[in-house]
Amino acid sequence: MTTHGGSEPVFCTVVPPHVLDRLARNDDPALSGPARRTLLRDSELRARRRVTTEFRLAAAPAAKAPSDQPLRTIYDCAHGTDLPGAKVRSEGQDPGRDATVNRAYSGLGATFDLYLKAYQRHSIDGDGLPLDASVHYDEGYNNAFWNGEQMVFGDGDGEIFVDFTNSVDVIGHELTHGVTQYTANLTYYGQPGALNESMSDVFGSLIKQYSLGQTAAEADWLIGAGLLAPGVTGAALRSMKAPGTAYDDDVLGKDPQPSTMDDYVRTGRDNGGVHINSGIPNHAFYLFATALGGHAWEKAGQIWYDVLTGGELQEKAFFTDFAGLTVKAARERFGDGGDESQAVKKAWEQVGVRIL
Amino acid sequence: MRIQVRRTGGFAGIERRAEVDTAGRPDADEWHALAERAVAGGRGARPSGVPDGFSYEITVDGERVYAADPRLTAEQRTLISRVLKEGA
Repeated sequence: MTTHGGSEPVFCTVVPPHVLDRLARNDDPALSGPARRTLLRDSELRARRRVTTEFRLAAAPAAKAPSDQPLRTIYDCAHGTDLPGAKVRSEGQDPGRDATVNRAYSGLGATFDLYLKAYQRHSIDGDGLPLDASVHYDEGYNNAFWNGEQMVFGDGDGEIFVDFTNSVDVIGHELTHGVTQYTANLTYYGQPGALNESMSDVFGSLIKQYSLGQTAAEADWLIGAGLLAPGVTGAALRSMKAPGTAYDDDVLGKDPQPSTMDDYVRTGRDNGGVHINSGIPNHAFYLFATALGGHAWEKAGQIWYDVLTGGELQEKAFFTDFAGLTVKAARERFGDGGDESQAVKKAWEQVGVRIL
Repeated sequence: MRIQVRRTGGFAGIERRAEVDTAGRPDADEWHALAERAVAGGRGARPSGVPDGFSYEITVDGERVYAADPRLTAEQRTLISRVLKEGA
């Protein structure tokens, strides 16, 4: 997938296989090329997951062990929309004058650090994938996203949002979309999409906690603190501790996240409410991590990571599927009948997710 | 001509919508040309976007097309930002 040129269409992995099949047969190489590569990559991923599941083995080891150092590159879109833009900072270069570039660079480093030190994962793909990010995308752009290959950050319009590199958990959130893409590849729609979003919030928050050395009790459990412009009434974009309370503003409206299944929102918008219903698994993680206490990335994060990367989580998994796997992972890692498996069960029960 | 834009998704998951009615506007011709080109580049069904990417519905006199970041045409990008900025 690293062979994509900058100007070629990017096919997100949520494109249905039958559409990809049709595109791959298209006479226009601009359409068939990326579709063929996506199909190839998808089949490799499926094979790798199957091997991992059936044999409980990691994928075939790389010929050369990946480095323990990240390989970061920051690009500047200079308020345009062509990706990736001009290269402005490469790995090992000193900080420059642009604080946005420097924040993106250190945020990529913080993300790389958590995955390597806590979970022995080498970068997004587990195999040393270079980390690329583009900043100053478009003008006054109120968003950040992962395009399947790299992160993209807007500056915010200054009225509602400020610079999206301000929050390290946002940087971790975007990169975790990459980790999910390379592992469970949760479909970005409905419940699996909300799980995909929740993985990004969970590990985004853990990256912040790890970089600050906070315990679960000390953490703010907010996503996007420091992202709202002065004058907006709110603390952040989402709260894992208290979903639905992050903001309440006359322009932005009120945080729509539910914390339990009783308030699950059925909608076709926002890819079936992926940023709304993620509040439920987010809150389950918060309840679990705070019940255990200590550093959330050590036990609670490890169990979530085991499920995300273990090969048993299906692309179209529902909350209940994920919950069941976390109980199994807690038993496998920390023993049956231990505090961990009891606490994780209780957390899911509190948010109304049944474990089958 | 009534031009409506609805933006959903994005990192924040906050919806925005706005509408411009070009009737009586001195720059109506410019809006019409832009809207027609934006619709011509749109899709009949919601495209699968990228994680945290915005997705858009553009409706011009009842005809609705869909688009998603980062794959917008230049006309769609211009129309969307003008409607969201100037529209009500």
